Amino acid sequence: MKNEKEYAIVMNGVAKEFKVLNRREGLMGSIRDLFSRDYRTVTAVDDISIKIPKGQIVGYLGPNGAGKSTTIKMMTGVLEPSRGELIVNGCVPYKNRTRNAEKIGVVFGQRSQLWWSLPLIESFKLLKEIYLIPDDEYNEMMELYTSLVDLEPLLHKTVRQMSLGQRTLSDILAAFLHNPQIVFLDEPTIGLDVSMKAKIRELIKELNRRKNTTVILTTHDMGDVDALCERIVIIDHGKMIYDNDMEHLKTYYGSYRTLKLRMPGDVWEEEVIDESQTDVMSVISDYQKKGKILDIKLEEIATEEVIKKIYEGVAG
Amino acid sequence: MSETMELRAKRGLAFYARIYRKVLAQDLKSKMSYRADFIISTFGMIMTNAVGFISFYILFQNFPSINGWNYYEMLFFYGFSLIALTPLQCLFDNNWSLRYAVESGDFIKYCFRPINVFFYFISEVFDVKGLGQLAFGIMVLVYAWIHLAIPVTVITMVQLVLLLITASLFMIAIMNFAAATCFWIQRSGYVMVLMFRFKDYAKYPASIFDGLFKIIFTFVIPIAFIAYYPALVILRPDEIPLLSYLSPALGMLFFYLSYKFWMLGARKYNGTGS
Amino acid sequence: MRKYSALTRAGIMQELQFRLGTFATIFGNLIYLTLIYNLWKAIYASAGTEVVNGMTFSDTIIYLVLATALFNFLEMFIVWDMSRSIQSGAIVLDLLKPLKYRRLKFFEYFGRNVMTFFTTFLPTFIIVFFITKGAIKIGLNIIFFMISVVLALMVNFYIEMFVATICLHTESTWGINIVKESIVLLFSGATIPLVFFPEKFRIVVECMPFRCIYDTPLNILLQKPGYTMDTGLWTMLGMQVVWCAGLSVVSRMFWDISVKRITVNGG
Repeated sequence: MKNEKEYAIVMNGVAKEFKVLNRREGLMGSIRDLFSRDYRTVTAVDDISIKIPKGQIVGYLGPNGAGKSTTIKMMTGVLEPSRGELIVNGCVPYKNRTRNAEKIGVVFGQRSQLWWSLPLIESFKLLKEIYLIPDDEYNEMMELYTSLVDLEPLLHKTVRQMSLGQRTLSDILAAFLHNPQIVFLDEPTIGLDVSMKAKIRELIKELNRRKNTTVILTTHDMGDVDALCERIVIIDHGKMIYDNDMEHLKTYYGSYRTLKLRMPGDVWEEEVIDESQTDVMSVISDYQKKGKILDIKLEEIATEEVIKKIYEGVAG
Repeated sequence: MSETMELRAKRGLAFYARIYRKVLAQDLKSKMSYRADFIISTFGMIMTNAVGFISFYILFQNFPSINGWNYYEMLFFYGFSLIALTPLQCLFDNNWSLRYAVESGDFIKYCFRPINVFFYFISEVFDVKGLGQLAFGIMVLVYAWIHLAIPVTVITMVQLVLLLITASLFMIAIMNFAAATCFWIQRSGYVMVLMFRFKDYAKYPASIFDGLFKIIFTFVIPIAFIAYYPALVILRPDEIPLLSYLSPALGMLFFYLSYKFWMLGARKYNGTGS
Repeated sequence: MRKYSALTRAGIMQELQFRLGTFATIFGNLIYLTLIYNLWKAIYASAGTEVVNGMTFSDTIIYLVLATALFNFLEMFIVWDMSRSIQSGAIVLDLLKPLKYRRLKFFEYFGRNVMTFFTTFLPTFIIVFFITKGAIKIGLNIIFFMISVVLALMVNFYIEMFVATICLHTESTWGINIVKESIVLLFSGATIPLVFFPEKFRIVVECMPFRCIYDTPLNILLQKPGYTMDTGLWTMLGMQVVWCAGLSVVSRMFWDISVKRITVNGG
């Protein structure tokens, strides 16, 4: 049992509800809307309880509109939970938004938080002032950055002039600059090419390792999950439907393998096998009866498939 | 508790002043690199002020006095209002972008830093071309001042500076209110456009309004405080109304309320999800 | 035509969706109008005479109030729309759409205009009509006024479009727009009726297209000398048509040349 202090985030039955205006359809409907007071309550986040230890990289997954960004907004102190207890870095984020903000870093989708028309180095200097980063820590961080990425060509570019990849990279660097306890990354690799994705993942992993920063990552990209996450939390319709570590996910669904066989006529046959039920060898021998097997491949099931199974399992 | 106190000390006025100075310096530097834009904008600023002055001049060609105020006294109000409106133009111009930030969802980015959201948002833009308006206003005011033969003393100078600063708060507050409506209403740009047009009428003496409207333009949309009430202190030192004395305090109060309203909107906006 | 009428309808719908907005606009306009009313009442009271430059107090008020209502009615944000879509790069998509961009904008705004006509202009007109008790004569002039307003709308659109096209060449939209706005408001008579302008200045201003937007329709409505059926109504309407055609051609040519330039340079 861990001491409460060792957790970066503790959520206890946290829920968030919104009031939404019911809009009517058509021309007359919009006229009636002018006078409407017809609201309904939508529960965006429903009774979520998790404890996230310091230094962990957590993949926070779910389909669009599942309540991911609402949760992030609550954790960052922008939104107040309707119910439940939420402690981030030992304090209640909504009551101490600025104090909480000092100890966290956020990269929100493709929206750069840097000053659009300033060279990156100037943005960094301003952040140094805003987060009151001491000179030595700042210099140390810049040295670390220089050792990890090719920083020099970026520093004198304005964010406006950067490519999407460079901008994302800069935003991530900016989010880690004040050595926060927790960094929230929302879709950090969206829209990037393969090599840039790899670069960004490497950077996040390295920064997490060196600074023991807790990372909360929301993404739709399973590559991100595979490369980074130690633990997976999945929510759907505001409810938490899965919370366990990556190992568990793999052992749980690890008994599933995809067997690929090249049969005469150069045809690849695919068979998903649950090893707890069926024996791989028996499947192979069944095929052998049909004809000569030219080639055999045995693949682990992709995480994406696993998560799809989890979604389906709950929805269906 | 003590940590909150410590934070207050760390991020006090000096902190914000330092941040503002740095942001401003950087912003100016980057603006200067867009020379053509700078020149065209400054030209636009001069044009709009020139046109304002021409309208004013045309009016006085037809009507030599309004409500007992002669041409130079009216010019005094005019110059005073232009100067009092400069801080709005220079320092609070980013309010015009607020609704785009809110509609596109970019506004959220201002909520993740350990500094005041209003400050962070507003500090992002310093509008240099407003200085053209300042120069124009000073010229008009000095011209009127000389013709009215108002004595130049330490007291009048101190009064002038103090009154100008507090007068400027009224229009800033009006525009804060107007800009913040976008947190509740979609496509609320017209509220700002409408309110911004009121500033053109700040230069006329409030004595032209009677009854209800005097109350409206004094307490609801307080444009009478942008030039009329504060300028009376200098123009009619023998019969200063109580409201003129109160104008600095009212200005600060009104600004504070507009700030609270803006912040309330920001909080509400984040609550609507998306 | 079907395509465009759908756009007009969409414009109306969009306008209606902003529920508080409609109330706010009406309320705001009322305050603004009382401001103008009080100002000119004081001005006329100080003048000592009933009629200045052929305009009585109620003439001036009707003129200015309706000018304000027209301003709301005619207001377009094409310059802003354009500069935003240029900055975001969406302009390329807009240009690729099968609908002609300029026509698309026109009908989009036409829908908006139809809506604002009923939400702001018409109520204002009715209020003014009853308050001034018969100062506005109801007759054929109303029909000519309507025709004139449609022409004004088009002249305004072409000026907007011309200025918006400038934005394809420069990034400083703010400066361009503010120059346009101040020039249009002054020279069209939206802030001060043109008859108050000093003689020589007025002659120059009357040679510009801006008067077609506010001054011409309002004078037709008020049946001022030079704007009635006997004295020159047809000339004034004719001038509007000529300006309309001229500006249409000019802004069209400018647009085509600019678009070609963009497509050549790859934007």
